[in-house]
Amino acid sequence: MSDSAVLEQFQRVGSDLFLAGLISSHGGNMSVRMGDRILITRRGSMLAHIEARDVVDIGLDENDSAVALASTEIGVHRAIYQGTSALAIVHTHPPYTIAQSLHADEIVPIDSEGSYLLHKVPVVACELTAGSAEVAALLPTWLKEYDIVMLRGHGPFAIGHLLEEAYQITSVLEMSSRILTVEQGLAGEAREYRKGSDRYETW
Amino acid sequence: MTAAWHGRGLRVDLSSAHGVDETLDPAIAHAYLGGRGLAAHLLLERGLWRVDPLSTANPLVFATGPLTGTGAPAAGRYSVSARSPLTGTVFDGNSGGAFGVVFKRLGYDYLWVDGALADPGYLLVGRGGAVDVREAGDLWGLDVPTTLARLRERHPLSEAAVIGPAGESGVLFASIVNNRGRSVGRGGLGAVMGAKRLKAVVVAGDGDLRPSPADEERFAFVVYEATKLLKANPVTSQALPEFGTAVLVNVLNQAGAFPTRNFRESQFEHAEAISGETLRRDHTRKRSACRGCSIGCARRTTSGGVSGEGPEYETIWALGADCGVGDLAAVLEASYACNRLGLDTITTGSTIACAMELGERGLLRGGPRFGDRAALAPLVAAIAAREGLGAELALGSRALAERHGAPELAMQVKGLELPAYDPRGMKGQGLAFATSNRGGCHLRANMLNPEVLGIPKMIDRFATLGKAGLLINLQNLSAVLDSLSLCKFTAFAMKEDYYARLLSAVTGVTVEPQELLRVGERIWNAERLFNLAAGFGRDDDTLPPRLLREPVPAGPSKGQVVDLAPMLDEYYLSRGWDDQGRPSARKLRALGLDRAAAGIVPLDGEATREAVAS
Repeated sequence: MSDSAVLEQFQRVGSDLFLAGLISSHGGNMSVRMGDRILITRRGSMLAHIEARDVVDIGLDENDSAVALASTEIGVHRAIYQGTSALAIVHTHPPYTIAQSLHADEIVPIDSEGSYLLHKVPVVACELTAGSAEVAALLPTWLKEYDIVMLRGHGPFAIGHLLEEAYQITSVLEMSSRILTVEQGLAGEAREYRKGSDRYETW
Repeated sequence: MTAAWHGRGLRVDLSSAHGVDETLDPAIAHAYLGGRGLAAHLLLERGLWRVDPLSTANPLVFATGPLTGTGAPAAGRYSVSARSPLTGTVFDGNSGGAFGVVFKRLGYDYLWVDGALADPGYLLVGRGGAVDVREAGDLWGLDVPTTLARLRERHPLSEAAVIGPAGESGVLFASIVNNRGRSVGRGGLGAVMGAKRLKAVVVAGDGDLRPSPADEERFAFVVYEATKLLKANPVTSQALPEFGTAVLVNVLNQAGAFPTRNFRESQFEHAEAISGETLRRDHTRKRSACRGCSIGCARRTTSGGVSGEGPEYETIWALGADCGVGDLAAVLEASYACNRLGLDTITTGSTIACAMELGERGLLRGGPRFGDRAALAPLVAAIAAREGLGAELALGSRALAERHGAPELAMQVKGLELPAYDPRGMKGQGLAFATSNRGGCHLRANMLNPEVLGIPKMIDRFATLGKAGLLINLQNLSAVLDSLSLCKFTAFAMKEDYYARLLSAVTGVTVEPQELLRVGERIWNAERLFNLAAGFGRDDDTLPPRLLREPVPAGPSKGQVVDLAPMLDEYYLSRGWDDQGRPSARKLRALGLDRAAAGIVPLDGEATREAVAS
């Protein structure tokens, strides 16, 4: 993939993440793996307005001087690539998902699309949630089994073979969390409509 | 006084080997904090702007800050201040290691050293202000590591700040060094020490006055939160620990802001060969850290069977790219020699680069040429000994270039050689260099963060207007950090509110972030007053002509020069200074500097009349 194609992809997804309310003005980060290199967003960049200088080229297995510019979460991205088959990672701060993560150890969608795509999303808790070695050590294990994992109070890390895949499941999770939140505020018991959904909790 | 300050200084007259206690007024402590700020206040208050820097009348002020030794992140530093023999400005340098922490435990906030010794000696400061001057004839002439080792044998628990042969011989950019490779560099305070025939200051290690924060619980929580930031930020948790400051070689080179061959170009074709990555792969043996620091940017390296501390990014640049040398082994050899002999590496390299350009232009017969790696180490030795060409280089690039009829080839501001950032590729840095109170320096305010690293946010590095306000904030914050005696590297991750919270917890008195920045502004203006009194003015707030008129020939900064004048006007306006760079009476009153300014700001200005009247 050419540099301009990668940049275009980052720009399109980054803009969508912001417009969809999945990140704040300077929040979130994303990356793609290119062999033994990682292209990751620059620390503090605005994902809705990515320019060439906002995409940092850094080593996968070995650190180099680009670490002075790379996203705070470079250590987590690197660990995920080293421990999974992911080729793309999207990390966001979606509000409904964050709220749900404060109340449960897993998020089990009740809507059709979320159920179909996610089944359930584990919520992982750490003392230091931003750029921490603890998160880097923990997440790859979870992401071997799930395409998206929620870090309690912080945000999900989603993986895919394409940036758009990771973006999609992030978007689905937030929509499911939004529906859950709305549903939890309604009076009365919800009607069950998904055959076998009671087994999703052991998915 | 609180745990932040002991409330006293120790004034030692070397001529009589006598020390007396001085009271540190709590109001002054709060107004200037400590370290650089406190020393600037004392030097200004005592009217030392006209002293000959190498005379007995020029004091050396060793000072710690209110956070020194408290357990705040990277708060183990101390500063040394005096009038600089290289620049003639007020000057401070600070250093890490353990000297500051050990000194503070003796129960003093500063050590003021007056006079001179008749014969080489060293000063031993003990508990309760016990002062002893010891004979140092056997140490005189020894290099820095050997001197430190001998003193460690004699005083096992103590810490020492020493000079090497360069300080003894009066090289105008000689350093003071502690803990092997921690240097008070740049402005030649080692020469001031040498002029006093003072080989070392040794602080006894049995001090037991450990600072204890007034609000321990609050302090512990702020330290916890600050440490979280330092661990999360890739610069402080990965870049600096793994590569040291040398991580910047490739970053600045790719940005087209890596000065090459005496600033003729801004990209070096051999940058990779002298990069942080190459240093780590081929030479780094061990990481190390100053006392109380979780970042750990220092490292021990080896080359050609020799080991030494560093080198820092600026050292690699000065002895490497600036001299056109792309051989890291040669750079390390020269760097180790500088450390052993007690020389500032930036000015050493930059002055050699100036000699190289003079040589290439036929203005310095027999002078070295760019890329001559074999010339580096011998020239370093010659500088320290002040022998041959080294005797000329020992006076710095400004004197060298003037002597050979090409003053424009000295890449300096106010006599201090510029460090490793080409301001044509980062215009705000140009303004920072021009307005720095100690001359061409990146540590008064480094626009690297917003212009290249995107901290706190990325700004257009080629833009000129609109940067003065940001720069002023960084200058004020820098003055605060040097006065708290905190490492500036914490500012890659932390902002002023964290420093205010740390200070508040230590003193027990809440300090708002804006108050802290106001303290920085006061310190900056006090230094400005000192320099104005010493004869500096707008004409000195400039850059070498090359940076103002010669466009960068190639690379990302191609075609760029620094359009300084409008930036300077905006800067003065934003500082509340007149068009000659003199603080207004209103500004001085607001900062509590009006009394100190009387007689300094010229009497024909409205500002001065008001100040004197008040």
